[in-house]
Formats: sequence, structure tokens, C-alpha cells
Amino acid sequence: MLLEGKNIVLTGANRGIGNAMLHRFAEEGANLWAFARRPSESFEQDCRETAERCGVWVEPVYCELTDTEALKAAFKQIMAEKKPLHGLVNNAGVMGEDKMFQMTSAEEMHRTFEVNFFAMVEVSRLATRLMARNKAGAVVNVASIAGIDGDSRLDYSASKAAVIAASKKMARELVSVGVRVNVLAPGFTDTELVAGLSEKVVEQQLSKILMHRKARPEEIANVAAFLLSDLSSYVTGQVWRADGGII
Amino acid sequence: MTNMEKYVKAFSEALEVPESDVAGLVYGKSEAWDSVGHMTLVAALEDAFDIMIDMDDIIDLSSFEKGKEILKKYDVEL
Repeated sequence: MLLEGKNIVLTGANRGIGNAMLHRFAEEGANLWAFARRPSESFEQDCRETAERCGVWVEPVYCELTDTEALKAAFKQIMAEKKPLHGLVNNAGVMGEDKMFQMTSAEEMHRTFEVNFFAMVEVSRLATRLMARNKAGAVVNVASIAGIDGDSRLDYSASKAAVIAASKKMARELVSVGVRVNVLAPGFTDTELVAGLSEKVVEQQLSKILMHRKARPEEIANVAAFLLSDLSSYVTGQVWRADGGII
Repeated sequence: MTNMEKYVKAFSEALEVPESDVAGLVYGKSEAWDSVGHMTLVAALEDAFDIMIDMDDIIDLSSFEKGKEILKKYDVEL
């Protein structure tokens, strides 16, 4: 198994790509601290059933990632468990409304950056300090092809571009303590984030993709599993597109 | 091992300097204690004393002596 015995922090684990990652990583033998914003019985059940099915532990952690004190408390709890941390996937993210550049307010930009960028940096700081103790680890920051191509909402694409830049900085510094940092940039993925798009917009998006279909969340999770695993031991500071072929 | 011995050991191992040389160390004044060494040192101190150091204190951790003051905040007596 790709991730057997690895302990991983995963944010945004309760839905979409993050939830697919939760299942995939557990199937590959990983134990998980599965972060979600709010408690829910269905998520609790999902964690319990996945853990039982895969013979691993999956611990739900409820935390508002933009609340620095709550985040620190969550990591103190993780630290108190005295289990080594091997991997981090910064998956949690938000997407604002689709508006023109001139119509996107500063408040909307701040809100999106709070979650997509600043929280990602804070989680990374806390998690990589734990990884540095073992002189090993892998971080996967989930961005988007919008952060490269800039063809999406202003707040979203700019925040994901910031994630990419920060990840390269992190990769440069953390290599000395054995921590690899890579970016996963999914393309058009079948999640609730895109569920509300009109048929016309969907067709426009699909027309750019060689495979002419959306990604399944599991297909994105597979790439993340690879980047977390020792199979990618010589990979750091890179941006991995999983976009069905946009060339 | 006393707390002071743990403290010296953390500096020595994280920054890869002999234990006899750690007392005068100042951030940025020696090759060993650069920004990368700083992160390794923070991790080593957290590990040694089972604490989580706040961001402000990480920034303030500028010398071997300053580190002693900072650890007091976390109820670590040296």
C-alpha cells in the first residue's frame, strides 16, 4: 500500500475532493486527522466506517481554519497524541461568486484569501514543525489550474496563484529538514463547487479538455496519494496539473 | 537529564555545533543558525520540552540567552 502507516493531516475532508482523498488515503493504509469546519453525524459515521473498512484510524478534527487560536489548539491536541506526522494535504478552500474583475469587492477577496491562502500557510507552519522533528514529510497544497491559467474568478484564481508561489518558497526551505512540498492543481472536477454551473459554461469548460469530461474527485485524490507517498521521493517544489489534458 | 542539559542538547543537535559552543549563539551571526537552522531549532525545543511555541516567540528567539526567557513563558525552568 502506498501510504501504509503514514499519519496524515487532511483539511476539508468532509466533502468533494477532500472526502475522496480521505477514502483513498485510508485505502492506501494511511491514518488520518480529518479536518472539517463543523461537526456532523454523517462525517463522524464516514470516518468510523472508513477506519473500520481500511484497518486504520480516522480522527475527525473540527476547526475553523481561519481561527488561529482554534487551529493551534487542534495541533496541540495532535502533538499531545505523540504520533509522528508524515503528511499534510491542504485541501480546504472556498470559491466566491463568478463576477467581473471590476465587480469583485475587496471584502470578497479577503474572505477567499483567508481560507485559501492564509489558513493554508498557518496550517503548513504548524504541521511542518512537527514533520521537522522526524526530518521527513510530504506536503501537498491543493491549488487549481485557475491559479496557473487565471481563467476563473478573480479572488479564487489569485488565491490559488498565491498558494503556488508560497509552496515553492516552502519547498526551498523545507528540503533541508526532509520535507517535500508540491502543489496539486486540479482542473474541472465534478464537485458541488461546479454543480451550479450552467450547461453553457460546462460545455465551454469541457471544450478545452482533451478528455472532454470532468475529473472524478477520486482521480484527483490518486495524484495526491502519489505526491504523499515515497513513490514521489524525488519530487518537490512542483505543480502537478490533473486537468484531463488542457494543452 | 536536567532541563538545561536538554536545552543545550537541542541547540547543539539542531544547529550542529558542539555543546561547548552553544552559549554565545546569536541568530544570523553564525553559519549554523540561519533561517533553516532556526526552524530546526524550534522543532527541537518543542520536541524536547513538549511545548508548542507561538509565532511571536519564534520570531523573538534570537539568541541562546533569549531562548531561556522564552521557555519560561511555557513553564520550562532552566
